[in-house]
Amino acid sequence: MRELMYREALREALDEEMARDPSVFIIGEGIAERGGSYKVTEGLLAKYGPGRVRDTPIAEAGMIGVGVGAAIAGARPVVEILYVDFAMLGMDMIVNQAAKFRLMTGGEGRVPFIMRTQGGAGGGVAAQHSQSLEALFYHIPGLRVVMPSTPADAKGLLKYALRQDDPVMFLEHKHLYMNKGMVPEGEHIVEFGKGDIKRAGSDVTVVAWSNMIPRTLEAAEELAAEGISVEVIDPRTLVPLDRAMILNSVAKTRRCVIVQEANRRGGVASDISSIIMEEAFWHLDAPVEIVAGLDVPIPFNLALEQASVPQKPGIKAAIRRALHLGPAAMAAE
Amino acid sequence: MAQPILVPQVGQDLTEAKIVELHVKLGDRVKKGDLVAVVESEKASFEVEAFAEGVVISLPYKVDDWATVLEPLMLLGAEGEVVEVAAKASASAVAPAQPAPAAITPHPAIAVVATAVPAASPQPALGGLRSSPAARVAAADKGVDIARVAGSGPAGAVVLRDITAVAAAPRSSGLALRTLQSGAGTPVVFIHGFGGDLSAWRPLVGRMAPGLPFMALDLPGHGASKAHQVTSFDDMVTAVGDALRAQGMPLHLVGHSVGAAVATALTARGDLDIRSLTLLSPAGLGPAVDGAYVDGFLAAQSEAALAAWMRRLVHDPAKLAPVLVRATLSARDDAALVPAQRAAARALFEGSTQLFSTAAALAAYHGPCTVIVGREDAILSAQDVAANTPPQAALHRLPNVGHLPQLEATDLVVRLIDRTLRAAG
Repeated sequence: MRELMYREALREALDEEMARDPSVFIIGEGIAERGGSYKVTEGLLAKYGPGRVRDTPIAEAGMIGVGVGAAIAGARPVVEILYVDFAMLGMDMIVNQAAKFRLMTGGEGRVPFIMRTQGGAGGGVAAQHSQSLEALFYHIPGLRVVMPSTPADAKGLLKYALRQDDPVMFLEHKHLYMNKGMVPEGEHIVEFGKGDIKRAGSDVTVVAWSNMIPRTLEAAEELAAEGISVEVIDPRTLVPLDRAMILNSVAKTRRCVIVQEANRRGGVASDISSIIMEEAFWHLDAPVEIVAGLDVPIPFNLALEQASVPQKPGIKAAIRRALHLGPAAMAAE
Repeated sequence: MAQPILVPQVGQDLTEAKIVELHVKLGDRVKKGDLVAVVESEKASFEVEAFAEGVVISLPYKVDDWATVLEPLMLLGAEGEVVEVAAKASASAVAPAQPAPAAITPHPAIAVVATAVPAASPQPALGGLRSSPAARVAAADKGVDIARVAGSGPAGAVVLRDITAVAAAPRSSGLALRTLQSGAGTPVVFIHGFGGDLSAWRPLVGRMAPGLPFMALDLPGHGASKAHQVTSFDDMVTAVGDALRAQGMPLHLVGHSVGAAVATALTARGDLDIRSLTLLSPAGLGPAVDGAYVDGFLAAQSEAALAAWMRRLVHDPAKLAPVLVRATLSARDDAALVPAQRAAARALFEGSTQLFSTAAALAAYHGPCTVIVGREDAILSAQDVAANTPPQAALHRLPNVGHLPQLEATDLVVRLIDRTLRAAG
């Protein structure tokens, strides 16, 4: 094991898979000569040449179309989109082509297309550069939705993505690139659909993903000092979702809080809540709590930006509510 | 002196009834048997009749109001009699239109005191019992009656820890014991008979002097204690005794029928300080019981069938108000009730035989003791009761009265209870 930054772990995954499989190539804005806005692809141009690491114009619809077409033709493209917000320009290729092709060809055609992009609020980049849009992709049958929260998961999931044959929305978070974490030496692969218990606990289950994981872990640590034992589950891939891990944990703790940075309405948290309601209802001792972003465009103003997405006090308050801890306990916040 | 017409008990554990018709207004003169109002619960409607002649001198409700059951619906008095109604608390201005529960004090200065209506909850109530799924599963698993559990969750919801606590508590705390009237002094505990529940005492208690603390309990297998099953009369006495001992103070006991037998047996227990006994139609003083009544009462499913059996309880069938039959029937909406009462019947009776005797315990009791029995009792033998009432007890044999002296000779029973309590000091 050694400590790597999230972006270094992603670069390792790309490097190892490009070395292993010549059909892997990367395109995107500023990813070759500049090494990418988040430095994920730094050094890959020198190593693999402009045929496999290529800069593109600012034309997301075209990049995504190239990627989907190349995948159908048998390559393994990784298309880096600077902000997930810009992926909207390529939604027809993603939703109507990539997601449908396997079914419409009776399983003969596959689309091993990977869209690497990043989302989330932070740093005052305003409404068109801060969204968490995983629910849009989660809703579309045929897409895989991956949201790693740690360097190890980022590496292992990206390597797995490059070895399977379905279109993958690989959604990173702009606040995670500099985060450090231990990553196993050698071959490290994380299969889709396997969640990870980021912190074991017995009083309440918190399901979170992406940048909400570090925030939830901080909240859990502070609550542990009050004797509250929080189990933090990171599904790591929203599609496929590790239902069994969530349901088993809820059956044990009888309480669940779901934390998503995305705004509340029509979010993945609501769907996970409905799954718990259907399959673990008789285990519940409290209503499932959802902590989510507000249903507003993310404001530019930093204080308002903070207020529009879940923060630690809100996560802690929801956990206390799930434990039926009274207002006196909440006033201590 | 003003007398209240009470809002009828519209169903077991229902605390409010909606007034759907009012047939009188302030100042109207009514005579006995007049239909004065119709009230309804979610399940049924009940006609309210005047039980005496008088003038309506207080009528705090209007149609569509919700009224507290067994509290005064209106007061009857003499022409010109005045009732002071305290101004409604200002809190009622923001609360939904709902009259405050009224408490009455006797003549001459009758004041209907309005208590503050709690401000409307900011969250709309969904109604029904609030409990978590896990609590419900645990309650079913552990045989806990969730309706009897005090919830510690949000807005009083019953959550898992509440069930765990109740299940871990000693079994004896499972009997429902409620305060019917608060007051100072030695509490008077009313114990109902077979097939009834504590709510049956409310009309009688409403006629008794204010200021004394009155409590009543639901016998095992009855009312809210239905989940507490016993296999013998001695078990029943133990359960009641344990519940009363938890009160930890001297008590007066008033019992009816099986409840009177339980009260008597409690005097032999040794760890309760029982200051007086008032026994109405006491069981346990002879072997005979009307087994056909017990069977028929339990088997009846319609109002007509139930009324046919319940008429055996009284000498004058007119005394059996339809509201009593309907309240008994609506209590059976709880499907667990009749099986629980049937189990209690098996513990107490075999056919037309009572499986227990309290004659020895009664003979050994030397505190103030009043035995009241109707000469026309069709359920038990009034002769047996008389023969087994010891010389130190006062025996009152009431003519033209059946098994329910508290219904057919209410005023006399109230006076005799009062006299017994005063004899104990």
